[in-house]
Amino acid sequence: MSGKVSRRQAMGRVARGAAVTGLGLSAGFLVHKAEGQVVWQIDASKCVNSRLGEVGVKVCDLCVKECVVTQSAVRAVNEYSKCGRCCVCPAYYSVKSAVGRDGLPSEKLCPRDAILRKPIGEADPNDPANNFYEYVIDEAKCDGCGKCVMACKEPAGLSSIILKVRHDLCVNCNNCAISTACPKDALNQWPALKAVLGESAPA
Amino acid sequence: MSRRRAVLALLAVCVLGCLAENAQGQALHYERPVERAPQEKDIGGGYVTPKVQKPLPRRAWLEILDVALLAAAMGVSVWIVVKRRSRRWLVALTVASVGYFGFYREGCVCPIGSIQNVTVALTDPNYHIPMVVTATFFLPLLVAVFYGRAFCGGVCALGSIQELVLLKPVQVPRRLDQALGLLKYVYLAAAIWYAVLPAAQRDFVICRFDPFVSLFRRSGFAHMLALGAGFLVLGMFVGRPYCRYLCPYGGLLSWFSRLAARGVSITPNKELDCGLCAEACPYGAIEEMRAVRRKCLYCARCYAACPREGPLVKAFVPLGEVR
Repeated sequence: MSGKVSRRQAMGRVARGAAVTGLGLSAGFLVHKAEGQVVWQIDASKCVNSRLGEVGVKVCDLCVKECVVTQSAVRAVNEYSKCGRCCVCPAYYSVKSAVGRDGLPSEKLCPRDAILRKPIGEADPNDPANNFYEYVIDEAKCDGCGKCVMACKEPAGLSSIILKVRHDLCVNCNNCAISTACPKDALNQWPALKAVLGESAPA
Repeated sequence: MSRRRAVLALLAVCVLGCLAENAQGQALHYERPVERAPQEKDIGGGYVTPKVQKPLPRRAWLEILDVALLAAAMGVSVWIVVKRRSRRWLVALTVASVGYFGFYREGCVCPIGSIQNVTVALTDPNYHIPMVVTATFFLPLLVAVFYGRAFCGGVCALGSIQELVLLKPVQVPRRLDQALGLLKYVYLAAAIWYAVLPAAQRDFVICRFDPFVSLFRRSGFAHMLALGAGFLVLGMFVGRPYCRYLCPYGGLLSWFSRLAARGVSITPNKELDCGLCAEACPYGAIEEMRAVRRKCLYCARCYAACPREGPLVKAFVPLGEVR
């Protein structure tokens, strides 16, 4: 660099300056309007499996079929404070199956055996109905097929189980494949904090 | 009469079947046992309602780390190519990028796909993108303004995986290379078109047809996995087919890299005009013995082929003659 700048070099500098300014301005605009992270989440009041009034319809399993993640990023989640803790849970047992020797339905509903049932406190073996049971969903097994969600829905159950996108499994696709396929438009992008902590309706 | 016997046997089976069904017992007459959920005080015995799991998305500092690593990797790429002039180091960086940005981060966020997100965010007032995406999109362009396509070399996961499979490069005839090179601008235009459509018809085509992302995630549609495998097989002979002919971000980078003052340079002041570098370049980026910024993909193969560069020099040229 001998102090003297050739015409070509000067032009180059001007062009680079212009390009950097342009890039900077558009990036600045986007940063200015950025509103933090957004994540996909299911609106339980829209999802066929959990929406009240949709009784006797086919269970929708598009969350399993459409998700690009192998076991789907959707899981059934039991909101314990709403759970009836019934002895015969319609989401745990297939209530249409024959009654076994213990007086309980002989078949489970979950095809992946992902729901764990355990009595709360001491259970009287002679009177199992007179007790509370806790139903915990094993998230490693669940793939969000929605069978238990549909079965837990009022009036059969108390609608304590709903489908949720698990943000640690979801890869945050631009166009969530489930959302495109969902007939009820139940999957939408929510601001992350609201979706995870507040769980309110999408903004 | 065998026919009568058969009918009788059938009837017997039916009756037995029905009996067996009855013996097994019938289904419960199910009714909801409770009208409202019992709470802690109803259950008693010191029962505590378990907390509902709420897994968080990837932590913010990890996302920022990704951007920092992207910037650092581009810095290293520039250093290797401009200062160090070493193919070997660049291969190491390439492997690291395939590992981290490819298989660990599963090819996401990448600047290529973010073209559409940025376009939507610029045109739709209701659409926002996280700052991480903004940074991912703009950083490689910024580097390109000064140093050319440093991102393409050993940083981009899609480019890197193709770089590593290129074992027997063949030269694509110049005319054909130029014609195919136009495809990426068509793709870029299509991607922008699909991004500016109203929200309902919007389609993120770049991500949807990303040939390597299913490979990085090791899951996905069979046809996409097959497409990725196809590109890799083709890429063993034709240097980086996706980057040169389809990558819309490559199109943007080649525009911005026209302004670059520095980048791969063919042995300033000591060249032999032997043309070995041009032969070694699988991307047709060396024209008239000069690296063309908008085509150069920062692979450093020309350095490896140069008799005045690297280990060959040290072995055969007497000390002092070259350096």
